[in-house]
Amino acid sequence: MIPILVLALGTFLLRYLPWRGERGPSPGQAGPALVVALFLVSAFAPPPSWLWAKTLAALCVVFLAWRLSRHLGLSVLLGMAAYALF
Amino acid sequence: MATFPSPTPSPLRQGLLAAWPVALGYFPVAVAFGMAGVGAGLAPWAVQLLSLLVFAGASQFAFLGLLAEGASPWLAAGVALLLNLRHAFYGPALRPYLAGHPLLAFFLTDEVFAVALKSLPGLPQAARTGFFLGLGLGAYLAWNLGTSLGAFGAAQLQELPGVGEGLSFALPALFLLLALPHLRNPVALGAGLLAFALHLLGQTAWGLVLAGVLGFLWRRP
Repeated sequence: MIPILVLALGTFLLRYLPWRGERGPSPGQAGPALVVALFLVSAFAPPPSWLWAKTLAALCVVFLAWRLSRHLGLSVLLGMAAYALF
Repeated sequence: MATFPSPTPSPLRQGLLAAWPVALGYFPVAVAFGMAGVGAGLAPWAVQLLSLLVFAGASQFAFLGLLAEGASPWLAAGVALLLNLRHAFYGPALRPYLAGHPLLAFFLTDEVFAVALKSLPGLPQAARTGFFLGLGLGAYLAWNLGTSLGAFGAAQLQELPGVGEGLSFALPALFLLLALPHLRNPVALGAGLLAFALHLLGQTAWGLVLAGVLGFLWRRP
């Protein structure tokens, strides 16, 4: 029980302390860098396998759906359907 | 005098609506987490407590995994906290658009951060807090509802043909769309590829921390 509370408190402080206050050091490119990194690590699991081809094909569907519709949710849904079908 | 509903949704509702792609991705992972937690020997209420208080998927899985391997709960909590180091970079990246607040910080997961970074700059200053709160609440509810289903018994959901597989692709699809505007930014791309290389070596958490540090230190040419 206590380790769970420590984990919860530590996680909260990691999120809050660097964010508090109105001024602080410029974040530079931390946001974009983290978003690109999160995409790559979530899409392609190690080790490389045939799943990468399936993932790439479904990502193409997501991209095309986004280009045609500009709708975030719809594009994600179509990508999920494509991934399940491929 | 009759009153008419506002033609535009409140910022909180806008945030809740923006959360549904995140919720779609969270739900199956949370169901899997709930099932894994009970499988690791934790009581269902303890599994639910983790999701209610920590709200950080990867570190919750790491915590469970280490417990299942026989590690002490303190070591498991320490390793899970190391995994969450990357969260320290999210607040400063959002600060130009939204001042930090304890309640908002509680909801600051990877996905909430990425959606907020895309959406907040286009919103009026007055609407940003409500939007972020709605976004975070939507994600939090999905994560906890999924944990609850997994922990208290709904394994059949993942076994429906195609459903579990399709749902597992929701977060990569969402992250692709959020990353698209940044793929021509050489700093973001370089840091992302470095994180990916470490991910392939099994060091995903450190890769993400390194990407945050590099992005923080480098300035766009």
